[in-house]
Amino acid sequence: MPIIETQAIHKIYPNGVHANDDINFEVEHGEIHALVGENGAGKTTLMKLIFGMEHPTSGRILFRGEEVEIENPQDAIEHGIGMVHQNFMLVNSFSVAQNIILNRETMQGISIDMQQAIDDTAALSQEYGLAVNPTAKIEDIPVGMRQRVEILKALYRGAEILILDEPTAVLTPSETQDLFAAVRNLVEGGKTVIFITHKLKEVIAISDRVTVMRDARVIGTVKTAETDERELARMMVGREVFMQVDRPPVERGGSVLEVSDLTYADDSGHQLLKHISFHVYENEILGIAGVEGNGQTELAEVLTGLRPPTTGEAFINEEQILGRGPRSVREHQVAHIPEDRLTNGVALASTIDDNLIIDRYYREPFTRRGLLDINAIEDNGRELIREFNIIAPSGAIPVNALSGGNMQKVVVARELSSSPKLLIAAQPTRGVDIGAIEFIHQELVDQRTNGLAILLISADLQEVMKLSDRIMVMYEGEIVGVFPNDDSLTEERIGYYMLGAERQDAAEMERYA
Amino acid sequence: MTAFRTHLLLILGGLSGLAVTLFITNTMFDGSIEKMSATPTWQNVVLVNVLIGACIFLFVVELRRGAIRVLLTVVVALILGFLVTFVFNLDSSLRFTRGEFRVQVVSEAEALDVDGVDLEYNRVRGGHFNKPNVVEPVSEVAWSFAGGEGDVVSLLAYAKNKRSSVDPLVELRDESGAVLASATSATVAQVEERFDDLVRVTDAVIADFQLPADGTYTLYARPEELATGTIMTEAFQQTNVAFEALLLGPIQRVNRWGAWIQDAITLILIGLSFAIVFRAEQFSLGAEGQLYFGALVSGAIALNSPNVPSILIIPIILLASGTAGFIYGLIPGALKAYLGANELVSTLMLNVIATGFFDMVLYFQLRPIDSAYVATGKFPANTVLPVIVERTQVTIAVFLVAIVVFFCWLLIRRTPLGYEIRIIGSNLKFADYGGVNSRRTIMLSMALSGVVAGFAGMHLANGIYRELILDLSLALAFEGVVVALLARLNVLVVPFAGLLYSYLRVGAQFMERDANASFELVRMIQAIIILLITAEALVTIFQGRQKRADIDEKGHAVEALEAGDV
Ligand SMILES: Nc1ncnc2c1ncn2[C@@H]1O[C@H](COP(=O)(O)OP(=O)(O)OP(=O)(O)O)[C@@H](O)[C@H]1O
Ligand SMILES: [Mg+2]
Repeated sequence: MPIIETQAIHKIYPNGVHANDDINFEVEHGEIHALVGENGAGKTTLMKLIFGMEHPTSGRILFRGEEVEIENPQDAIEHGIGMVHQNFMLVNSFSVAQNIILNRETMQGISIDMQQAIDDTAALSQEYGLAVNPTAKIEDIPVGMRQRVEILKALYRGAEILILDEPTAVLTPSETQDLFAAVRNLVEGGKTVIFITHKLKEVIAISDRVTVMRDARVIGTVKTAETDERELARMMVGREVFMQVDRPPVERGGSVLEVSDLTYADDSGHQLLKHISFHVYENEILGIAGVEGNGQTELAEVLTGLRPPTTGEAFINEEQILGRGPRSVREHQVAHIPEDRLTNGVALASTIDDNLIIDRYYREPFTRRGLLDINAIEDNGRELIREFNIIAPSGAIPVNALSGGNMQKVVVARELSSSPKLLIAAQPTRGVDIGAIEFIHQELVDQRTNGLAILLISADLQEVMKLSDRIMVMYEGEIVGVFPNDDSLTEERIGYYMLGAERQDAAEMERYA
Repeated sequence: MTAFRTHLLLILGGLSGLAVTLFITNTMFDGSIEKMSATPTWQNVVLVNVLIGACIFLFVVELRRGAIRVLLTVVVALILGFLVTFVFNLDSSLRFTRGEFRVQVVSEAEALDVDGVDLEYNRVRGGHFNKPNVVEPVSEVAWSFAGGEGDVVSLLAYAKNKRSSVDPLVELRDESGAVLASATSATVAQVEERFDDLVRVTDAVIADFQLPADGTYTLYARPEELATGTIMTEAFQQTNVAFEALLLGPIQRVNRWGAWIQDAITLILIGLSFAIVFRAEQFSLGAEGQLYFGALVSGAIALNSPNVPSILIIPIILLASGTAGFIYGLIPGALKAYLGANELVSTLMLNVIATGFFDMVLYFQLRPIDSAYVATGKFPANTVLPVIVERTQVTIAVFLVAIVVFFCWLLIRRTPLGYEIRIIGSNLKFADYGGVNSRRTIMLSMALSGVVAGFAGMHLANGIYRELILDLSLALAFEGVVVALLARLNVLVVPFAGLLYSYLRVGAQFMERDANASFELVRMIQAIIILLITAEALVTIFQGRQKRADIDEKGHAVEALEAGDV
């Protein structure tokens, strides 16, 4: 008997979007069940229905063979269902332990027994092999750990079935491996896991069965052992997907960005960037490889004017751009895909149209004679929604009605359409489906072929290797190696540099800088 | 949205607007054309009512389904208010058993001469039943009188005067305490013809009773017990009267209507001021201080320009009050933007400073030396906003408001600065990332909202009071917060919200005046309304702003859309 089953589920959102269309979905006890599908296919929606955050328009949800009404997440938790969301929902100013025990506090008189909370957290963390620091504040810990906190939080509430919505989108490869180990561990302990992802490799690596969704319907459920990436991709997209990008060789042009001796220390004096110097050239994608948290984020933010550099300079076509704020950087035709779209890539409550003009609203044709031209703004929105295949009924809806991947497409659409000379792209394909990855990758490569200089930052080493003409490795705020991306370069070799086990000397680095 | 639905919405909005315009005009003039055309400047009354209709139109078109929710909230608030009033009236039904009374034994016979009796024939005695706040309230009386065999007596127990509503009963008892006769009421004939002292039929009379023997008898009287049904009906009727005053009071006569409109103008201006800063997610409460500065500046100019023609001086005053508000908004704006000072705290402090400064200037500079109380004395006529409806203080400020609403809309929805305000209100980090100069935007949003608050001050000074007095704003500024929230921070809906809210405010005054509802009760009803309105509006606004897409309540996205988060 399946532990969870949905029968003929329909979900129509109040704005008319039919997000789940006759869904029959079964999860067996003790399995790892992967759920895949393009952006906006309705995966998150289905999970929200099971978790009681949304209610089905019609249809039944069965739990251990019995029909249940799940009114709200509380009900779901009582049934032993836990969910880790695509977008985390932790209280940033609380500590890890506080977040985990939230609403389940052991009281000591009128105050919460913090020691108890810390001990519980540590014990739980030990038990499931999910390392966290109980006393750290959420805002100070890396995403990988935040995710482990989310999982522990669900387990603390007695989850038997754990729904993980795109857990790996924000993880580095090694964190992903750790997560997989933990998930396997959970299943051995008798739990059931539903796992949403866009990465088919992961599906193959971890799941027992896969359900594929497309356009709000279930296309099919197959045993992982009896399928492969190609077939899954075809089921998802409805056509053959070529996961290779076509990167024609081009002669690189002149230097667009020159960074010279850049250092950056945060408020507490930690040196996060140390004497960084490099060039990015026309017709070139320079990929930065590195384990997340080695200064890549800071580098992107300093270069785009979001943080002031401590010392050093950066030039675009001979003009110094640092220290003058984001507007000035953008005026130099620099575009930026930020690494976390929810923090600063979009304004959730604003419309898609408004989100698509943040870099250009003050210029013609969007502002004419001091007034916004609504038609121009709507045309811009319509145009980009079409061109970048953003699934949305119109540009007038707020971004928070979009699926995660479509939000990312909004960001990418805006940045690529700003006719930049330099694009700083941090995690450009985070959370988007394979069709869209293919599209974004091709778009990046095409623009590079047409002259754009791209600085690509990605936690996904394969992505870096697939797209880049040159690869630079960062380790602890320093550049430890620069390589042309030719056949001789292997993931393994880069891996040594990423872990700080090897570094080039100055002369070697000079050769390819 | 399809073209069909858009058209439907426009038609619906237009019809609602028209209906309201007609209803108000009709009620004001009792549906009589003669009465209307006999009213001076009736054209302007109609014009203003048309503008009110336009506010309704905007309300429907802008909030769409949200409009129904707003209306439902108001209706629920009113029903709750009705229930509270009803309960209070129930309680005060006790006053039917409360009040001054008189008793009398009427007889033409010679009285027996017995010592120590309480009543003599034809002598009036009385007291107060159930007087509140006394240690031992009188709830019944048993007074003895002496009577001879065959004496024909009439026993009366009655309310002392028409206004006291006590409804007594009366009994005649003999020495052993046996009831010989009793009565709870009188006939109309008895009241009108026989007994001059009786005031109405609820008074009790035992008429023409022949005493069976010599002896002392007892007249026993107490308030009649009321049937529960009677109490209910009574309370219900009272409540109805009160609510009629609340709901129709403000549009019953031109002068009352004027009170409503002038109050609404102030509230709309302040509401707009809050809508602008709240849009930028700046929790500035500085409108109060900006209002005082606006009023002070316009008052000072008015007092010093007795001979400048209106056409010249009024624009100058307008400009000056706006500038004063601008500057007084710029200060907390700059403090926030460049020093990170919390705007909530700084504006509250600045409010204190502004009122203090206003009082001081008023006291030491502007007040005529010989004046008995703290006020400037009336402004010269040329500096007062021209009245457009006679017998009211409805001035050209009506048009000023219409223009200000238009410009606020233009600012928020059609200018780059407005875009910046909306974006920093939606996600400050996103604005920074996109290159918006968020410091400048924060500062300007606060300063521009100050301009509108400054206008409100000018309207109070030169339109309503026509002089500067202490406590000019009467904390009106904070009611503007409710208006802005009610309008979901949508500047096009603020006029409706201001009208609605001030309608309830003014209506409550009439309820107090016309229906004898106690002031506390009126305040309570107002509080219920405010509470529900704000709760509902806050829920909607927070839903619209929720930062995590994935934890949204069902359907909120549409809600945000409907709330005009565009
Ligand atoms: N709160 C909402 N209101 C209205 N429409 C919504 C809402 N949430 C999601 N949708 C719409 O429902 C559809 C399915 O969204 P869902 O989030 O389930 O997709 P998904 O499969 O999880 O996609 P992704 O991989 O991009 O996260 C999308 O078209 C989306 O725009
Ligand atoms: Mg999703």
